[in-house]
Amino acid sequence: MDALRIGLQVLLVITSAVLVLTILMHKGKGGGMSDMFGGGLSSSVSSSGVAERNLNRITIATAVLWGVVVLLLGLIQKFVVI
Amino acid sequence: MLGAFAQAFRTPDLRRKLFFTMGIIAIFRLGSFIPSPGVNYGNVQICTAASADNDILGIINLFSGGALLQLSVFALGIMPYITASIIVQLLRVVIPRFEALHKEGQSGTAKLTQYTRYLTIFLAVLQATTIVTTARTGVLFAGCGAADSGTPVIADDSVITILLVILTMTAGTGLVMWLAELVTERGVGNGMSLLIFISIAASFPAALWAVAQTPGGLTTFFIVLAIALVLIVAVVFVEQSQRRIPVQYAKRMVGRRTYGGTSTYIPIKINMAGVIPVIFASSILALPTLAAQFGDQTQPWVQWIIANFADPGAPLYILVFAVMILFFAFFYTSITFNPEETADNMKRYGGFVPGYRAGRPTAEYLRYVVNRVTSAGAIYLLLVALIPTIAFVLLGVQTTIPFGGTSLLIIVGVGLETVKQIDSQLQQRHYEGILK
Repeated sequence: MDALRIGLQVLLVITSAVLVLTILMHKGKGGGMSDMFGGGLSSSVSSSGVAERNLNRITIATAVLWGVVVLLLGLIQKFVVI
Repeated sequence: MLGAFAQAFRTPDLRRKLFFTMGIIAIFRLGSFIPSPGVNYGNVQICTAASADNDILGIINLFSGGALLQLSVFALGIMPYITASIIVQLLRVVIPRFEALHKEGQSGTAKLTQYTRYLTIFLAVLQATTIVTTARTGVLFAGCGAADSGTPVIADDSVITILLVILTMTAGTGLVMWLAELVTERGVGNGMSLLIFISIAASFPAALWAVAQTPGGLTTFFIVLAIALVLIVAVVFVEQSQRRIPVQYAKRMVGRRTYGGTSTYIPIKINMAGVIPVIFASSILALPTLAAQFGDQTQPWVQWIIANFADPGAPLYILVFAVMILFFAFFYTSITFNPEETADNMKRYGGFVPGYRAGRPTAEYLRYVVNRVTSAGAIYLLLVALIPTIAFVLLGVQTTIPFGGTSLLIIVGVGLETVKQIDSQLQQRHYEGILK
């Protein structure tokens, strides 16, 4: 069981890093406080090219993998006495 | 009105947007309950119960929808993103390059957003480290859950585990940021504010139930409910109101067509700064208490801080809070609305305020009006932020933050904004809107 846990932890490190990097690679949409809490016209320019779409796919896949790893680690911790 | 809701779901693209938003919200709430790997969930539950109504991290915990004290993967929630946005906005005053980028238009703003995103990740690392450290030393849960106690929050106290928790929380924060952006891009409303809205709304039922549980609870419960309702109505009323400065545009001939010649107005909202002054003031006032946590409990300065700043009902706290709100209301309005810029733009397109020359006199007139309107707005903010606190002190109810003016302002502000956006989408298709 230890090998599985360590493997998952390594996987967690990798997916976390990849997740942060891919998210930072996105073009930010709608930041800034002015269009928070009212005020300011928010221009919704939704231009997603092929690159952006592929990036979206990669990000979603990484996020799902990350979530699964977190869940598995949680389950191991709960049911296996270390 | 209900018919309008039905219409909203019958319109295909609006329905897709609404479902998309709901899906994101579901993911966000789900993630708030998944504990970070390495965190012992059972012990966290014990410690949360042991150190109930911990006001120190109150507002931060509130903004994360209670996820913070569960040390979940989304423990930091949207807070680092907000802090980063505030910092970048404020730096525009200090760093000329930021101001230049802002004036550049779309490409400049995109760059500023990118800076905000990098700063968010940086802040996330910083805050995650703080949270994990305080949890490990037992400060976070008021002495419970330290690494060497009987109920350690973090199961095995090795460097690797702690680094893993920090990394997971950072990645979680990044994911929350992306979710918020997705909502802004493809859903309804502004993602960042919508997620805060959800976090705050999620803590409402539990807090209301807690009030009802106290002795003589039912009467207090209804009084609290009544105060909240009255305040919501008042807030909606004031948020909608604005001063309209008339602007006349000169007629221009370009080729064979005539442009302009219309008369419009500049809407100046009474409360232009929104809820931001309140958020700033409460965030800053949380700092002394946080600092006191690291000090020795017997020292005089620590005791002074705890006596005066830990409880939102303390007289000194209320006083400082009031002054800060007034200051930030004017400060933030001066950042968001620049009279010179507006006057300049009007001059360029041949517009003028009747009775005032274009250029400097117009700018001065605008500044005069904005200052007067903001004075009223600042006092309104002050009242809304303080009335619940004072009322609850008089009633003897725990001054827990969920019912404070801050959360009410945020909820009403975000709710109005989102409904307006749905409304405008409905009206694009000639349906009757939700707001009459």
